[in-house]
Amino acid sequence: MTWIHPIHAGLTEPASVLGSKGYGLVVLRRLGLPVPPGFIIGTGACRAFLRDGRLPDGLDAELAAAVSGLETATERRLGGPERPLVVSVRSGGGVSMPGMMSTVLNVGLTAGATAALAAETGDRHFALDSRFRFLSGFAAAVLGVPPDILDAARQVAGSDGESGLADAIRAVEELVHRRSGAPVPDDPVRQVELAVRAVFASWDTPRATTYRTLHDIPHDLGTAVTVQAMVFGNRDDRSGSGVAFSRDPNTGERAPFGEVLFGRQGEDVVSGTSLTRPLPELAGREPQVWAGLPAALDRLERHYRDACHVEFTFEAGELWLLQVRPGGLAGRAAVRVAVDLADEGLISRREALLRVTPPQLRHVRTPRMGTAEPGDVLTRGLGACPGVATGRVATTADRAVRMAAGGPVILVRPHTSPLDMHGLAAAAGVVTARGGPVSHAAVVARAMGKPAVVGAADLTVDVAAARVSAGGRTIAEGTLITIDGTGGQVVLGDHPAVPAAPDRHLHRLLDWADEVSGGGSHRDQEERLAAAHAALAG
Amino acid sequence: MTSANLLALHALRCIGFAALSRVSEATGLSEADTESELIDLAAAGLVQYVPGDFGAWGLTEAGRAADAERISGELDTAGTRPVVAKAYDAFLVLNPELLDLCTAWQMRPVGGVPTWNDHTDSAYDSRVLDRFADLDQRLQDACAELWAAMLRFGRYRLRLTDALTRARAGALDYVTDNMSSYHIVWFQLHEDLLATLGIPRPDPGHR
Repeated sequence: MTWIHPIHAGLTEPASVLGSKGYGLVVLRRLGLPVPPGFIIGTGACRAFLRDGRLPDGLDAELAAAVSGLETATERRLGGPERPLVVSVRSGGGVSMPGMMSTVLNVGLTAGATAALAAETGDRHFALDSRFRFLSGFAAAVLGVPPDILDAARQVAGSDGESGLADAIRAVEELVHRRSGAPVPDDPVRQVELAVRAVFASWDTPRATTYRTLHDIPHDLGTAVTVQAMVFGNRDDRSGSGVAFSRDPNTGERAPFGEVLFGRQGEDVVSGTSLTRPLPELAGREPQVWAGLPAALDRLERHYRDACHVEFTFEAGELWLLQVRPGGLAGRAAVRVAVDLADEGLISRREALLRVTPPQLRHVRTPRMGTAEPGDVLTRGLGACPGVATGRVATTADRAVRMAAGGPVILVRPHTSPLDMHGLAAAAGVVTARGGPVSHAAVVARAMGKPAVVGAADLTVDVAAARVSAGGRTIAEGTLITIDGTGGQVVLGDHPAVPAAPDRHLHRLLDWADEVSGGGSHRDQEERLAAAHAALAG
Repeated sequence: MTSANLLALHALRCIGFAALSRVSEATGLSEADTESELIDLAAAGLVQYVPGDFGAWGLTEAGRAADAERISGELDTAGTRPVVAKAYDAFLVLNPELLDLCTAWQMRPVGGVPTWNDHTDSAYDSRVLDRFADLDQRLQDACAELWAAMLRFGRYRLRLTDALTRARAGALDYVTDNMSSYHIVWFQLHEDLLATLGIPRPDPGHR
């Protein structure tokens, strides 16, 4: 039985075996794009593991051979005293289940390998940072330590310097020992094996099971595991991570869009705990990386014949792609991309019509903020409840209630607790520095129908001084701001919602729909598109 | 057992600014008894009543400090700190699931894009509610010791069960949308565990 498949351009296994993430890596390789060397443990091994409660026969030997192949390809050695090989161990099934399964990064960083990495790079801080990330990830994925507990342990350590990192490492090591009765194994092969097991086991966690139940995904597919040589976004100041879209996911416009985080690994971009920068900042700092991205996205668009986005890391000025996903745009952006792709000749008009489902047109009608001058943008977070709201900044719930008597307010908080509920009720919208679209604040905002932006990571709220700061700017309580709970923008001043119409791309798409269905334009938009879909199906 | 006076004080610590009926619901005391305790607390400067259209009770700064001290003292006297700490640990594992479920209740992907759940698909809604019931069972199991050791925590068991029962009987606003909903009671339990153990909510910011 072949359980493991090295990543190369000639790999013919389908996404149901390699997982969609692994399959995407093969596509990237085929297109000649830079992908760190690695291998994929197919979904069959996961199914066997879940069925029998142990790794299947023969996997050990295949894993050893695959690691050895990776050592040869990278001229590194797992746990080696010089040039240590460090790997990422990522989940990824045939159907995407974002954030539901485990991933462990920086695997292989034993105490010895960490010292070796420090010696090799001459950068002890970097090596310790990576070791700390490994321990945290391992504790979370393998031992199930909740993130709040890990946060608390690392906050005790405090400072960001080498001694602070050493303290943080010790804190997590002690936490692991206390909770599991044993230290994190200092054997790199064992680390890889435990990480693989943890990824397999994460298929059956209650969260993942719930996700599949709610999204009609079969429970017996299993996840693949992608193991790759680490590329380090935290390597130096010419390193970083980000996400890049081939078209602006808010508007559908063909322009470079995305975010980048200098000096950090990719998990920091995704988790929303750090301050990301707009992608074009790469142009000045890393022109080669900047130039590589649109070229790659262009090639990917032509392959998928759809808008795409990639997760990338650059290490010491060199670009690597870690994941590609086609599609996934909503509302106006989805409509515009379908129409533009037809105009560009990448897809037919018939296909453009089929790319947009009638219920998606509802998103086109969600009010969005008008375009703001870049200088007016205070910060950006994640949209958690759609809609646009304008009001004066209030930094506590009590003040929100008091100020609301004199006109609409936006409650701006580090995070929310039940103690903020009356402020939320009084406010026209809410912004939080912490939390994601799946947080108490987001759930409450949606329950109350208030536009909400969460996870605006660079936002600091100074309650005592009654002011908030972001993007190097400080504004006082009472300042007028506008928030967009779809795109996550927080903008100074009054930027009224733009009425959804007129959208020339939507009009063109609907004209094409009428041509196909032979119907008239007096019906509502969803009916016009649905009639075209029916005609195309018939 | 927690005194009625501390129950009323601590309820305001966990539910925030609230009208008498909500404080009474949280404490399990009658409205008359709750009001009597609140008036005593107000006389001591620990809580205040803010009149108006939405007149409600809230803690003062002194009340917040007094609550922290008294709740911590209660833990030490009763020796229940380990039980609460263990329940908090289990709670943290379940909390992301609850948030997933609330989000799935409110939004559902259409063509891969999150869209308001308009609750016209009762099959979907009942699937979500089944998962709520499953989660609730696991919370009850994980917290059984806590409910038994501290009566005031046992109140959450009743309130959560009540919200879920009502939601399953068709009162859909008892999932996330009203002040007695499953999410709100859970959110208050989260706050109570943090407050009881004296753990601040993690601050935003960077390591």
